[in-house]
Amino acid sequence: MMPAHEFKLSHFQAMVIFALLISIAFGFLSRRGAYQRARYILWSFILFLIIGVGIGWVMYPFSH
Amino acid sequence: MPDEIPIAESTTAVQVAPSAPPYSATAKDRHRRDALALTIAAAAWFLPGLGHALLKMWGRALVCFSTVALLVILGAGMRGNIFSRNGEDAFAKLGYIADLGAGSFYFVAQALEINGPDVSHANGDYGTRLLATAGVLNMLAALHAYEVARARKA
Repeated sequence: MMPAHEFKLSHFQAMVIFALLISIAFGFLSRRGAYQRARYILWSFILFLIIGVGIGWVMYPFSH
Repeated sequence: MPDEIPIAESTTAVQVAPSAPPYSATAKDRHRRDALALTIAAAAWFLPGLGHALLKMWGRALVCFSTVALLVILGAGMRGNIFSRNGEDAFAKLGYIADLGAGSFYFVAQALEINGPDVSHANGDYGTRLLATAGVLNMLAALHAYEVARARKA
């Protein structure tokens, strides 16, 4: 049985959480003002996901 | 003419510069600011968000603390590898530097990971990356706090 403090995340869940946390941190560190930050966070988060999924598809043929 | 001001009268109003060297105060201030910036960077490294909190940047402080804490909790919870000082190869040494970037949270991660790392599954491997990311992110935040304290960044 898995202890309560252990996490089992799928590849996609891990990527989404990573992208979200890093986007928020980068947004707050590099931008000022709520609107600028929100825009940066959203844009960065979307790019993280698109590039992550894109790299996954590029690597897909090598796994077969 | 009565409106004309005598030259001698106008020149006496100008104060002569003080005899102290003009650059001593500025250099002293700069040194003090550099020392303060280094202290803030060390504080930011030791406890994520503390550097920004000392600079009264509350939002950034809260975000730095929360993101690093969440990454460490998740990474340790996924049984990621926390690198130790005695790394065998260059990757292990680099991993140790990255992990140590989280400051005191490095020890929090060690305390949280009771069962030790398990990188035989992808989950543990992701955990390793999340722990390293927490450290590198904290180093970036500490560098940002240092730059702000030196008045190079807003």
